Amino acid sequence: MYNANKTCWNCPAAKLMGNVDFRACGQARDKGLDLGEEEEIVIECRRRPELGYFEPNITFEQCPEWTPTEYGYILKEMKVMILGIDGYLGWSLALKLAKLGFQVSGLDNFTRRDCVMEKGAHTIVPIKRMTERLEVARDVLGININFRKLNLNATAKLREFLEEVKPESIVHYAEIPSAPYSMADLEHAVKVQENNVLGTLKLLWLMKEVVPETSLIKLGTMGEYGTPLTGRPLYEGLFPADAIIEWDDRKWSLGGETTPRDPASFYHVSKVQDTFNILEACKYWWLRSYDVMQGVIFGVYTEELAMDNRLRTRYDIDEWFGTVINRFVAQAVVNIPLTIYGKGEQIRGFIALNDAMQCMIRLIISPPEPGQYDVVNQVSGLHKLSELAESVAHVGKEKFDLDVKIQRLENPRVEADTHPFEVVSKKLPHVFGFTPQITLEEEIERIFAVLKEPEIKNRIEMKKHTIMPITTWQGKKREMKVLERYDPGTKPIKGFKPKFDN
Amino acid sequence: MNVTDKDFNEKIINSPLPVLIEFWASWCVPCKMMDYVLNELEEEFDGKVLIAKLNIDRNRKTPQRYELTGVPTFSIFKDGKLIDSRIGAQSKKDLISMIEKIIK
Repeated sequence: MYNANKTCWNCPAAKLMGNVDFRACGQARDKGLDLGEEEEIVIECRRRPELGYFEPNITFEQCPEWTPTEYGYILKEMKVMILGIDGYLGWSLALKLAKLGFQVSGLDNFTRRDCVMEKGAHTIVPIKRMTERLEVARDVLGININFRKLNLNATAKLREFLEEVKPESIVHYAEIPSAPYSMADLEHAVKVQENNVLGTLKLLWLMKEVVPETSLIKLGTMGEYGTPLTGRPLYEGLFPADAIIEWDDRKWSLGGETTPRDPASFYHVSKVQDTFNILEACKYWWLRSYDVMQGVIFGVYTEELAMDNRLRTRYDIDEWFGTVINRFVAQAVVNIPLTIYGKGEQIRGFIALNDAMQCMIRLIISPPEPGQYDVVNQVSGLHKLSELAESVAHVGKEKFDLDVKIQRLENPRVEADTHPFEVVSKKLPHVFGFTPQITLEEEIERIFAVLKEPEIKNRIEMKKHTIMPITTWQGKKREMKVLERYDPGTKPIKGFKPKFDN
Repeated sequence: MNVTDKDFNEKIINSPLPVLIEFWASWCVPCKMMDYVLNELEEEFDGKVLIAKLNIDRNRKTPQRYELTGVPTFSIFKDGKLIDSRIGAQSKKDLISMIEKIIK
């Protein structure tokens, strides 16, 4: 198994604090500093205090606290705290982890529900209040989730919750994930950056003080990288060792340096800022983190969500919070032409909900080393938007007998709508053992099946006016002109061909 | 191959083969990126050069003894003596040129 040879050095139960000199960056080894006795690092184990002090060399395979499962070795009843547990991803992950035997806790202050309500929209898949969700999870799945209504920015209360739970891994989904929301006006831009950037910065300080050995699995976005017109590959956050910069007849290795970021909205900027704050916190304090550059997410399915309608996760289709595939399927169901912005030759990375959850479990149970900051590109395929519209139309026609049209709108965003795109995504499949379980068209079919239910179709009809974009990157609201309407299969696919290095 | 303060003399100083050793740390991002290059070199120079790594946080004597100023540091040892050292990430080509100087 891919994580069998990891050792106490990676394990959150290993107590480094008090046993290890945390001064990093080689400073502690300057001649002027007196280190005292030079000894091998020894640790204590929180779970096995009987071991006393020992060198952190026991492997997960050898340790009785780690047990083998289909996902790899799992730390028994590992305590995972999910920030943003009420959201599309947070809720899905909470159920999956708890069902696997993790002790799940989580916080949310329902920002997402409020933001969607502010837009005059709603989740088209109805979701219950949190108290009811937790009850149903208990009755149907036999799991208990420790929930706290809490704002990530409420530092004193967050500290209390961390001290009470002492999580062994923290999954950070508690950010406002919308580019257009952040571009609406001054107030929205500030709200997004305050929530995302300051929330994460506060979290980092609290982790340093309360749970410094806990790993932070932080949701970033592929949108941090932008779409470089040179076609340079989008590496996994850091340059590989053999990347060279050449200038003025001289050469240097760029190995391990952060790759350029080119965010495409104030929301994306907030994610880039998080990346740098986390990287520094790892360097200064020996925190440890995986920064997850997730592709655009889509889908409705995990095994747990599908067990009871009351356990389903939210599903947004409005211009602020609806992601492209999810929105296309909703449009197809109520007979609105699928809306493509601009030329439609934009290419993005995508991943289905269930596959993203599999990746997260693998990252949680294979924690980084002390001080290690690493980046993974969490993507299972690259697709051009115009081709996605064709795929949704095709599944709609073949499986559900829907007559779907496609329309191009003026692009409300400032972005390249024709660009090369090459993505490297090697770590999840090769280091963490991830294999995607579902194809694009299969998941689209599953979405159709849910959205065709009369109650849900009705909920789409009620809010279909929130789908068309009116938020422009100029900070003004206006309706976008329809540039073209066409039938699927009638237009040649133009633009660049994506390249996926996985 | 991982070496420690305890076995540094046995494995590195007394090595019959020349050695390329990386001094690294888990918080050092460039160090982590060098892993796959070292793995490749280990295969390509099997039997000719020993490729080794030493974690500077878990082993403090050796880095002090060689007065390291940063990580990653790549050092060449031959017949127990430090011959060459470079600081910072290196391309595979650069590391090969370090190695070839001593095996040719």
